[in-house]
Amino acid sequence: MSLLNPLGLLALLAIPVLILIYIIKSKYTEQTIPSTYLWELSEKFLKRRNPISKVAGIISLILQILVVLFIAIAISNPVFAIRGAAYDYCFILDGSGSMSIEQNGSTRFELAKREIDGVISDSAEGCSYTLVFVGDVTNIVYNGIEDKVQAKELLNALKPSYSSNGVESALAQAQEYFNENNALKVYLVTDKDYEKTSNVQVINVSSGAENYALSDVNFTLSDNVPTVGGKAVSYESAATLNIELYLDGSQEVTKSITVDIADKLQFTDFSFGEIEAESLQSVRVAITNKDALALDNEIILFSEEYENSFTVLLVKGNEMGSFLLLSLLSSNPNAQVTSVDGTDYATINQSYDLYVFDTFTPEELPSDGAVWFVNPQKTLDKTGFSVQSVEDLSGGELVFSNSSQTYVKTILQGIIASENAAVAKYVKCGTYRSFTTLMTCDGTPVVFTGTNSYENSEVVFAFDIHDTNASMFSNFAILINNLLNYTFPNVLEKTFYTCGDTLTVYADAAASVTVNAPSGPVSYVDGLQLNEVGVYTITLRSGGAEKVYFVYSAFPEEERFTTVSETSLEIVGEASTQKRDGSFSQIWMWLIVLAVLAAADWGVYCYEQYQLR
Amino acid sequence: MKNFAINEEFLQQVERLQMLIKNNVAGMFGGNHRAKTYGSSCEFSDYRDYVAGDDITKIDWNAYARFDKLYLKLFLDERQMHNRIYIDASRSMAFGTGKKHVQALRLAAALAYLSINEMDKVSVFAVRDDKIENVITNLLGKDAFISEIDKLNDLQFDGDIRFSDAILPSTVGYGDGLSVLISDFLTDNNYEDAIDYLASKKRDILCIQILSKEELNPQVRGKMHFFDSEQSAKSYRKNINKEIIKAYKQALDYATGRIRNFCASRGADYMLVSSEESIYKIFFDMFVNMGVLK
Repeated sequence: MSLLNPLGLLALLAIPVLILIYIIKSKYTEQTIPSTYLWELSEKFLKRRNPISKVAGIISLILQILVVLFIAIAISNPVFAIRGAAYDYCFILDGSGSMSIEQNGSTRFELAKREIDGVISDSAEGCSYTLVFVGDVTNIVYNGIEDKVQAKELLNALKPSYSSNGVESALAQAQEYFNENNALKVYLVTDKDYEKTSNVQVINVSSGAENYALSDVNFTLSDNVPTVGGKAVSYESAATLNIELYLDGSQEVTKSITVDIADKLQFTDFSFGEIEAESLQSVRVAITNKDALALDNEIILFSEEYENSFTVLLVKGNEMGSFLLLSLLSSNPNAQVTSVDGTDYATINQSYDLYVFDTFTPEELPSDGAVWFVNPQKTLDKTGFSVQSVEDLSGGELVFSNSSQTYVKTILQGIIASENAAVAKYVKCGTYRSFTTLMTCDGTPVVFTGTNSYENSEVVFAFDIHDTNASMFSNFAILINNLLNYTFPNVLEKTFYTCGDTLTVYADAAASVTVNAPSGPVSYVDGLQLNEVGVYTITLRSGGAEKVYFVYSAFPEEERFTTVSETSLEIVGEASTQKRDGSFSQIWMWLIVLAVLAAADWGVYCYEQYQLR
Repeated sequence: MKNFAINEEFLQQVERLQMLIKNNVAGMFGGNHRAKTYGSSCEFSDYRDYVAGDDITKIDWNAYARFDKLYLKLFLDERQMHNRIYIDASRSMAFGTGKKHVQALRLAAALAYLSINEMDKVSVFAVRDDKIENVITNLLGKDAFISEIDKLNDLQFDGDIRFSDAILPSTVGYGDGLSVLISDFLTDNNYEDAIDYLASKKRDILCIQILSKEELNPQVRGKMHFFDSEQSAKSYRKNINKEIIKAYKQALDYATGRIRNFCASRGADYMLVSSEESIYKIFFDMFVNMGVLK
């Protein structure tokens, strides 16, 4: 026997104190009565008492001493060794995506945890437990702990991931433990079948439930006419699947297709054909058949092509320079450019994504789109800069910024360093907001970018393009294109991901990004690893405007099957049946004894003081 | 504050009772108790031959006419008794909640009234330690009773009780009435000699033992340390349990049996009453059944 907390024996010091109190404090109730004659006389009639009955007078003290003794024992938590009664267990828990499949109201992962919980519960005290979790990464949750409660708590805290890095690394870990202790009992709790196992006991929690899935759903938009198609699969048996198409949340078409299972994995194409739609925010495709895993039955797509187009209004104050700008802007495939003379600007009442003012300054800064100023003529309120003077030069060199800021590097991406153009004169501007300089002339910023008072993107070219030889070089065209991409970035690279992929949202630095995963909100910081299956909703907020995007995260292909047969699973070595010494440490047992003794003491007290007899 | 009170209705009912005196060999003339000797009462007793010198007014001339011989007509004598009531005035009588002294004073007053009603004299004594204190002496007549009986309320209960030491040196009379000893008799001290002494003086003796309800049937349990109210040096410390209570009751039976048997052996009457017993029941039930009253 050993004591887990020997300091608990200090409680025994209470015993002499108790005896002292018992001696000092007589518990006899003093009372004066008319005469003690009859009581004294009664002594003659008392039967001679046996020696044991003399102990009855201090039975309360004896019980209280026993209570203190057992309190001391309970606090010191004794552990009794039981020879050859315990095993060392090593559990490998499959936390891959397929373990999320539901069977009879519980996921396979929950069933697996219950299995391990059961083995722990049924094992003798003193057993040690090791748990290796196989999910996105292989993780040793605990190693060699003997506390059943802790082992169960840590087990129950685990959640399945949506991908798997394979059981091999976990098996290698178990092999390492087995080499150290060949009496180790290794359990693999999974939903996969193994043809051959050695020194590993496989607990299979799968039951071959039906599982359907969508895959490769595609969406194209041509002249505002969307076309939707994709593939569907049944992993267990042939089935007729009902597939519904929703545009902007409204059901449009229902389609039934028959999928076969000739080769375990038979994807069947389907298409909804061309669908008429004037404007489109989202496309949702869903299988309505019920199956064990609903997560892969629905896909929501968003049209990148449709969303990335933008409208540009070019206001011309200088015909020559504007011609060059118009051609550069129009060369961007997403730009829909409209040009007007400065005199006609006041008649424009349509909203544009980008306003380009070339050698023209409006009376009022537009608030509904990004603004470019080329060769600004006068100071305009809320722009963040002021026009000070026109500097007349004879061939001043335009120099690109060599800033190391990621932001600047992105905008100046592809610029050829040796191709610096010259400018005859430029407008000297003073800034009273924070701007980033992209080009300088004679040390003075001549191309700079930032945001205006409406929090809209703003780019200033402080010279007349006609006064430069920029058209002679490709750098200027690259800069214009980069600035357009900067102003209207592709928010998402794609809308169909696989679990484990990283989602990147390209947004204005001023924009806030919030992401809702299928399970709820998640934080987004410079990228997000998608570790759930289903639709992620991305919301961009900038300058009071809000845009919503959807991406779909699918299961890794290898995790989509309800039954997987693997080849072999082996731990090499000669297994031993020798058990280690178990232990017996049940604090509740001492507490029960304590309770009984306390109750007995209370009974004695009542017996003596409250005349229960 | 008065220790006791007896209502008039009770006294009126007591008037219907009569004491039965056995040893009325002596006493003063003019009482209400028939004596064994011949006297001058109206109740005829016997005839005897006339002897010279007899009172000729008592010759039955009708008998002389019939038998031609002088016979003297004899009548029973009636005596006045002197009843003496001894009240135990030790501390044990008044200590605690038992109120044995109230019952003792109530009995003494009622017995005194009964004596007065029978034209007997009555004296009430308080016995404390080894001394007798005269509380009411030679009380005769109802007017005197009314004026004197309140003295009982002034009686102090204190000290010990030693009946024999107190009564033996005192004047107890001879064959002239009833001696009543009212006490709890919870003492080691000798009371037998006192009863013997009274018996030797041809006194009728009535011992009334008054015990409280708690003394008759103790309810106390658990660890107790009792102190004697009369002698602080005496104490009893025990864990009162079933066995102790059983032994106590045996001791109670022994103590009451001892005095009962002793009284019986001396021709004395003995009665055990509870301090809470109704005085009606004591007089009209218990005394009558015992033959002390009729």
